Amino acid sequence: MDLLTTFRTQGGLGRCGAAILCALSVLVVGCGDRSPKSAQQSASDAAVSSAVSPVQADGKKVLRIPFVVAETGFDPANVHDLYSSIVVEGIFDSLLTYDYLAEPAKVVPKITTEMPLAEDGGKVYTVKLRKGIYFSPHPVFGDKKRELVARDVTYSIMRHYDDSIKPVWRFLIEGKIVGLDDWYAANKKAGKIDWDAKIPGIEEIDSHTIRFRLTKPDVNFNYVLAHPAMSIVAREVIEKYPNDAQANPVGTSAYYLKEWVRGQKIALEKNPNFRGGTWDFKPSGKDPYDEILVKQMQGKPLAQIDRVEIYPIEEEQSRWLAFKDKQLDLINIPGNFSTQAIPGGNLAPELLAQGIRLQKMVDPEYTYTYFQWNDPIWGGSEPHKVALRRAAAMAINRDEEINVIRKGQAIKAEFIVPKGVAGHKEDFKSNIEYNPALANALLDKFGYKKDTDGYRRTPDGKPLIFRYNSTPTALEREFDELYKKNMDAIGIRFESEKEKFSDAIKREKRCQVKIRGAAWIADYPDGDNFTQLLYSRNIGESNNACYKSEAYDKLYEQSRVLPDGPERDKIYLEMQKQFEADTPWAMGVTRLRNQAIYPWVLGYKKHPVLLAEWMYMDINTGKGK
Amino acid sequence: MAAYIVRRLWQIVPTMLGVILLIFFLFNVVGGDPAYLLAGKISNPETIANIRKQLGIDEPYYVQLWIFIKQVVTFDFGQSWSTNEYVSSIFATRLPASLMIGIPLLIVEAIIAILIALGVAYVRGSLTDRAVMVSCTVAQSVSILVYIIVFQYVLAYKFGWFPVQGWGNGFFENLFKYASLPILIALVVSLAPNIRLYRTFLLDEINQDYVRTARAKGLTENRVMLVHVLRNAAIPIITNLMIQLPGLLVGLFLIERFFSIPGIGREVILSVERSDFPVIKAITVYVALATMLANLAADLLYKAVDPRVELK
Amino acid sequence: MTTAVNTASIGIERSPGLWSLAWKRLLRDKIAIVSMVIVIAFLLLALASAVGLVAGGWNNEIAKNYAPPTWFKGSTTEEDLSKSNKSAAAGPSLDTGLSRPEFVNDRDPLRDTITELKQQLGQSTSGGADEIKIVDPLADVIAELKKKLGRTGDGDANEVEAEKLSSLAFGADKWGRSVFDKVVQGSETSITVGFAAALVATLIGAFLGALAGYYGGKTDDFLNWFYSIFNSIPYILLVLAIAAVLNKKGILTVVLILGLTGWASIFRVVRAEYMKHKARDYVRAANAIGASHARRMFVHIFPNISHVILVQLSLYVVIFIKSEVILSYLGFGVGVDTVSWGSMLNEAQNELILGYWWQLGAATLFMAILVTAFSLFTDSLRDALDPKLK
Repeated sequence: MDLLTTFRTQGGLGRCGAAILCALSVLVVGCGDRSPKSAQQSASDAAVSSAVSPVQADGKKVLRIPFVVAETGFDPANVHDLYSSIVVEGIFDSLLTYDYLAEPAKVVPKITTEMPLAEDGGKVYTVKLRKGIYFSPHPVFGDKKRELVARDVTYSIMRHYDDSIKPVWRFLIEGKIVGLDDWYAANKKAGKIDWDAKIPGIEEIDSHTIRFRLTKPDVNFNYVLAHPAMSIVAREVIEKYPNDAQANPVGTSAYYLKEWVRGQKIALEKNPNFRGGTWDFKPSGKDPYDEILVKQMQGKPLAQIDRVEIYPIEEEQSRWLAFKDKQLDLINIPGNFSTQAIPGGNLAPELLAQGIRLQKMVDPEYTYTYFQWNDPIWGGSEPHKVALRRAAAMAINRDEEINVIRKGQAIKAEFIVPKGVAGHKEDFKSNIEYNPALANALLDKFGYKKDTDGYRRTPDGKPLIFRYNSTPTALEREFDELYKKNMDAIGIRFESEKEKFSDAIKREKRCQVKIRGAAWIADYPDGDNFTQLLYSRNIGESNNACYKSEAYDKLYEQSRVLPDGPERDKIYLEMQKQFEADTPWAMGVTRLRNQAIYPWVLGYKKHPVLLAEWMYMDINTGKGK
Repeated sequence: MAAYIVRRLWQIVPTMLGVILLIFFLFNVVGGDPAYLLAGKISNPETIANIRKQLGIDEPYYVQLWIFIKQVVTFDFGQSWSTNEYVSSIFATRLPASLMIGIPLLIVEAIIAILIALGVAYVRGSLTDRAVMVSCTVAQSVSILVYIIVFQYVLAYKFGWFPVQGWGNGFFENLFKYASLPILIALVVSLAPNIRLYRTFLLDEINQDYVRTARAKGLTENRVMLVHVLRNAAIPIITNLMIQLPGLLVGLFLIERFFSIPGIGREVILSVERSDFPVIKAITVYVALATMLANLAADLLYKAVDPRVELK
Repeated sequence: MTTAVNTASIGIERSPGLWSLAWKRLLRDKIAIVSMVIVIAFLLLALASAVGLVAGGWNNEIAKNYAPPTWFKGSTTEEDLSKSNKSAAAGPSLDTGLSRPEFVNDRDPLRDTITELKQQLGQSTSGGADEIKIVDPLADVIAELKKKLGRTGDGDANEVEAEKLSSLAFGADKWGRSVFDKVVQGSETSITVGFAAALVATLIGAFLGALAGYYGGKTDDFLNWFYSIFNSIPYILLVLAIAAVLNKKGILTVVLILGLTGWASIFRVVRAEYMKHKARDYVRAANAIGASHARRMFVHIFPNISHVILVQLSLYVVIFIKSEVILSYLGFGVGVDTVSWGSMLNEAQNELILGYWWQLGAATLFMAILVTAFSLFTDSLRDALDPKLK
């Protein structure tokens, strides 16, 4: 759960249930109990139509948003934290992107003329670049407008194999593109990188056409091409700043980095060379608010906003008060303040009166508490160890986690693929649920006898400790409190182990952390991104429980080559059964995201996968309408 | 005198060496491994190994220590591990913000504390004296965390007297708009100990013979206090201020975090979280140096004013 | 012999009644008396809490979440409370229904065991027994256990939830625990931390200071070097580093972090005192009669500077009680099995804006009273021991 500070995305899911829609917005009509609020509503409706941004900067439209932790830098190949990725997405283009409104999330062209042509069963992808895609002005380009061409795509992919820049996203393409790994091996041998090499798997047919040849069919390759790590950079710029591409991002998207005071302020301004385009999205039909968005935006040129200012504000109180003080235009309501901002699930009257809109959604993610599979006491597939993990999982009170710690802003995760991700099983309910009585009986049955101090010992008489690893944060302290209470209830001694995040990860990769809370958010909205967490070949990488099950592995390998569909769903259900049978994790929750948005922000809807929606948004400055 | 200064400066070398060793041990040997943070979401052993190689933390400790020492000697700490920002630029951008709070704080605090101390020293032993001292003590007995939370909410948000948080680009904008509440909070918690201290300094002087002489000459009590006593008590007061300054560079981290001020203190917390060793090293070395120089300057000042002070 | 010299030497240096004179001066000081009474009251409270007379049940969830203080008829009504407590139900109605029957997990080795246990506990099962059974490694064991444990329903399975209170003297925290009990328990922890850490820092600082001041020369140079290292490193970095090294939670860790980082100021004071005293006549006299170094340091000089150490010690107590709050903020406070003022203040950080101000208020109030009383007492003590500053 401390992953959230490092990797938490702003993502979230738009596939809302009917009840959520009710809560969604004051503008939603015909949604049950609106009679007591109708007076307020009409007041706030008036506020909405006339609301104007408090920022008046020479007629420029300025959007101000917060970050929860400080960014690090904006080199697409080595951006290793989520918040920096948001900025990367605002500055750079990847080949593909996601439709702004479509539900479920749908990959669409960004700087290509159409979707890549897949041939040979998904082994060959041909991409046609749009003409007239220009990088933002930079001294290295001289006075000329620099167009994005096929070679830039090749170069940007090759960069993931430049060890000197500490690339972190290589896994997305590793072993997938013909000849790329060989080229890397040859470079390593030669001791220098041959940037002018031709990669057999990335064929530049002409200046605007690329043909990717993959080593094996990959149904998810379009997701890779839509990932911000696959953003396209210009070689001249990168070579101009050999040590500091992180601070000098120059891309082709709607914005460029105007001013950067690290950890304090990131100011982006509109790229004068931006290709333009027209706002043209269809309502998803699943969210009434889409209609309003379309009404606000349809037909407008893209990138209405002239300037985006981002402020990292670490303290929740400061961030929330800054929003309420109109220093920020929108905010993801900090969990601790949600009881005040959205009591009972609806926006507080005080906020409603200002025309603030609430957008609720479910993040494509879940949290989980894993048990170390290699641990002599907690790990392994012997029945009494399975029983121990099962009992612990049944002792954890997720309702209380949701109500007290998450202030109601989460739902229980039940399936190995979370809500909003292809492959999720709707309405599925896990057999492992809160049941301390059963947990106690189970432990009794498998010989975990209580000692004189009231705590259980292992069947062979060794001490039994639920040693929970976490970082020293206030949130984790609440989990300590909850888990201690829950473990006490089944006679298992709780101990908390506090470590710096980096230390914990280091030991985790070596399968040395006993029990720890983790979270995973979708890199792309496909179940494979989650089911791989339990695949034994990912031990040391993403399988942090070091879970190893032949049965699961076999199922996973079958599922991996299948596209989303009933056939794969069937395998996923079997994988879920195997997962529950072994209980390598106690499943946690999927968090809800509550965005509070001032009425002068137009066209905004948090996208479940996209990070930076700025080019689809507008600000009402009260002028030029 | 010159010989003394040279000797004192020379003494900085072994102390700095000790600082280097201790920090190196605490952060490099037993501290966190940043490679795992820099590796992002999915990291395989090769990625980790490559990052470690690029950062140089796969080298033996003595090599890393030697690099550290070279960095200290050349004052070139290279680039931050997590943001690639040059450490020198971190100082250039963070120091002004910390000083923007620290220096006005010291000045205002000195003025207020001296005035109150003069007042209470003048009426020493009276009810006013006690009342002032007790209320200052009460003020400093509340945790700074509480002051920040309450003042930010009540004074800034509810009353709207100050901005809730933030930092601008202009000097006066920062000083008068954004720095005022942080300074006020720092003032409330630090005033009491300083008043107490300055009162002591003043009383020390009041008990001196020359004060009695001055009084005997028929000078008014006001003149005695303001001219003779204050002038002489100024030395320990200024010394005290000088010694406080280095601590203010990183000591205001709570305030900097809550008010989103891009200062050194906030950077320290962030760099420890990220195991960003180049930044930690640089901040430690610079603050240690500032501390030692401030102490030296304070001693010299003493000597310059009072020749009886023995310099050893 | 030595005793005689000892008393004689003190007699030469100081009036025999230093302590009794100071005590008399202290008693004449009304503020000193009031603050002393308050401090003693707090110590008794901490002691009572330590032996379990009060606040032993601070960890019990006796009230509703965020129940307000009884005497506070503020904006937080019971309706609000129940609403906020139920916000989960109102928000994510996407939650899967609880009544849905279990699915049959034919991969689960514990399936039969759990079905059986559930029957024993009187919990409903969805009749998975009729489903196809796959090879179950536990089948034999379970059959055997079934025979042994033929009884139904364990008593403790369906314990009745006690009625939760809707208000408390000082209100309740987010889990429904009594803020009053917490703040009393917190007094014990914070006072213990303050005193223990002060003792650690004083022992280290005074001992090293005595060595440096007494021996001088190379010893002094070395210890002074050591001191300046600690004095030069920014305090917060030192704290974070030492906290990372001692990565175990608990009161002892907090005490060590504070003690190990805080000894520098007393070192300087004690060193200066020893330098001053070692040249004095009574020490020379002790030397003449052949008292050992250790004896001269601790039996002869120490009593003469003990008042300085006492004042420093009590300054430390105040500083460390306050520092514990910051340590808690940084995440290095006490563990979850204890509560301190620092952990309460940090927990209550966001509660003020939510209108649940009582935990923040209670911890601040208790801490402010003790810290004020202790600071005033320290001031009076210093004045009493060193009357020229009066």
